Amino acid sequence: MGNNAAGPMRFRKNQGPVVKNKDGTFSVNLNDNERQALANFVTQLEELLLVGPDDVRVRRLYPTAYHQDADKDAEYQGFMRDELTQSRATSIATVRDVLATTEPIDEHKLHAFMTVTNGLRLVLGTLLDVSGDGTDPEDSFDEDDPEFAQWQLYGYLGWLLEWTVSALAGD
Amino acid sequence: MKILDTQANQQVAEPDLDEKVDEVLDIDAPWIVLVWNDPINLMSYVSFVFQKLFGFSKEKANILMMDVHEKGRAVVSSGPRERAEIDVFRLHEHGLWATMQQDR
Repeated sequence: MGNNAAGPMRFRKNQGPVVKNKDGTFSVNLNDNERQALANFVTQLEELLLVGPDDVRVRRLYPTAYHQDADKDAEYQGFMRDELTQSRATSIATVRDVLATTEPIDEHKLHAFMTVTNGLRLVLGTLLDVSGDGTDPEDSFDEDDPEFAQWQLYGYLGWLLEWTVSALAGD
Repeated sequence: MKILDTQANQQVAEPDLDEKVDEVLDIDAPWIVLVWNDPINLMSYVSFVFQKLFGFSKEKANILMMDVHEKGRAVVSSGPRERAEIDVFRLHEHGLWATMQQDR
């Protein structure tokens, strides 16, 4: 598993991008540029999901269920893949609402924000062929690297996800 | 910027599934749900998902998460096949690498 996103959690607890309020709601403190960029990435994720589960870029979002039985797995996927796609579409719609407002949100919406952020990270991690063995250039500052922007985004999403989990867990 | 549009490697890694399938299934044997290690999901995220989906304490969720991380997999639930399918689905909704098999 990846564990490199904890480092950037250097902000004070009440100054992070996602915080729990005293009334139990949550605030997502992102600026307009971040909101627009995330909305753009979410749209791209939505477009990829429309391509279908067999596209290599989203294969990580549709894992095998019966790893010892191909027939049972085919039967399972026949029933559940559409439901999984629909579940993701519902979460994406919720995240659009989250990104469109600066008002506090409830736990349900932040949970959707968490799963979609993780979904984006899974797709990006697949594209970048993340190995998790310590050789990934997550902290690279080589702007000539053709994957520089994607690695930066991968790190950013990990940082945002850590804060989201921390807020939901009440840590 | 089409940042998710790069061509991925054609080979997407799958768990190391080196176990053999027995020819005869015991229809009475319970099913277990396994979560496999992967290089992308964050440890804190996996632990939180375990707590949220299964009602585990933070301590138990962290133990299971570390089993996944260090041993490559952990059993997170067991029971009838239908129950296991629901658990697998919920884990897949959260992007975790979950599979199920009969516990023999």
